[in-house]
Amino acid sequence: MGSGLLTSPLTAIDITPGLHLQRHVFGLTINMDIVWATVIAGLVVITLGLMLRSRATSGVPGKFQLLWELAVGAVQTQVDDSIGPRGANVVPLALTLFIFIFTCNLFEVLSIGSPIDFLPAPTSDINLPLAMALYVIVLVHRAAVKNRGVRGYFAHYANQPFAAKGALAKIPLTFANIFMNGIEELVKPVTLTLRLFGNLFAGGLMLSLLAALVIWKLGPVPIGGILSVPFTLMWKTFDMAIGAIQAFIFALLTILYFDTAMAQDEAH
Amino acid sequence: MADTTSMVSAVKTAGGLVGAGLALGGGAIGASIGDGLAGSQTIAGVARNPEAQGRLTTLMFLTVGLCEAAYFINLVFAALFIFSLGK
Repeated sequence: MGSGLLTSPLTAIDITPGLHLQRHVFGLTINMDIVWATVIAGLVVITLGLMLRSRATSGVPGKFQLLWELAVGAVQTQVDDSIGPRGANVVPLALTLFIFIFTCNLFEVLSIGSPIDFLPAPTSDINLPLAMALYVIVLVHRAAVKNRGVRGYFAHYANQPFAAKGALAKIPLTFANIFMNGIEELVKPVTLTLRLFGNLFAGGLMLSLLAALVIWKLGPVPIGGILSVPFTLMWKTFDMAIGAIQAFIFALLTILYFDTAMAQDEAH
Repeated sequence: MADTTSMVSAVKTAGGLVGAGLALGGGAIGASIGDGLAGSQTIAGVARNPEAQGRLTTLMFLTVGLCEAAYFINLVFAALFIFSLGK
């Protein structure tokens, strides 16, 4: 770029987001780094759970047990507030999702913004959030069928927002209801996926951009390299908060979706 | 003058960059309005009922997280436009 004062990092460095170590198995492309990061995150969660099991006491709890009780208490409060006692078996699912996603999100702290990190945040690849979102949505629909029965399940979508009064208005209103409910149900897994993936992907992209800042030199002074360190520290601190909030939002939305699925219709 | 392939790639790059700029700019407007509304209403709520501060703060962070999430989705698409389609 000549000897300009400001060399643009974007033109000088080739940033390639979404690059993974890939293996091709039976026509499927598998992102190996995401797979092993997911496995390690799962092992961390299982280890934490087993540690809690060996240390759990009904007496005065230690710090470790207090942290767990804080997380369980937060999820339990949300479930009690929105679903009520019927939602008791949503608590383990939401809690596991929260702890697992939080652990995954914390892996972002370890990455340095290189094209392929050794231990990337598994949630910064779209496959893991999509898998979790689909799993949640399938369970939500199963709960809805269990709650309303097969006929009630479809009837709920056919006459929910606009209830028809006369027989004449029934057909167009049913179409409108099915259309709106269909869009709503389709959008649920998509937004659940993209919200988590977008946050973590943007975090990784930001780290790449901060790493690319090193290119910027003011004469002999490596000003970009000096600035890059505090910026990265600041961003990683902020990113940990984002990771916690996003993990909680994923768990909370899971609870809310179960709430709408398990709600008793007062009309029938 | 310029041959067709370089012209097409130039148009692609320009379109990708303009699209990314629009996505980021528009998304920033929406997300900041949402954050501002959440924050102002939280302050109003705390001023009215100082005891509710703990619960309101949790709710505010939740809402801010949801608002920001929409923007981060935009950011992903902007990155897609810049780094993939714009090349």
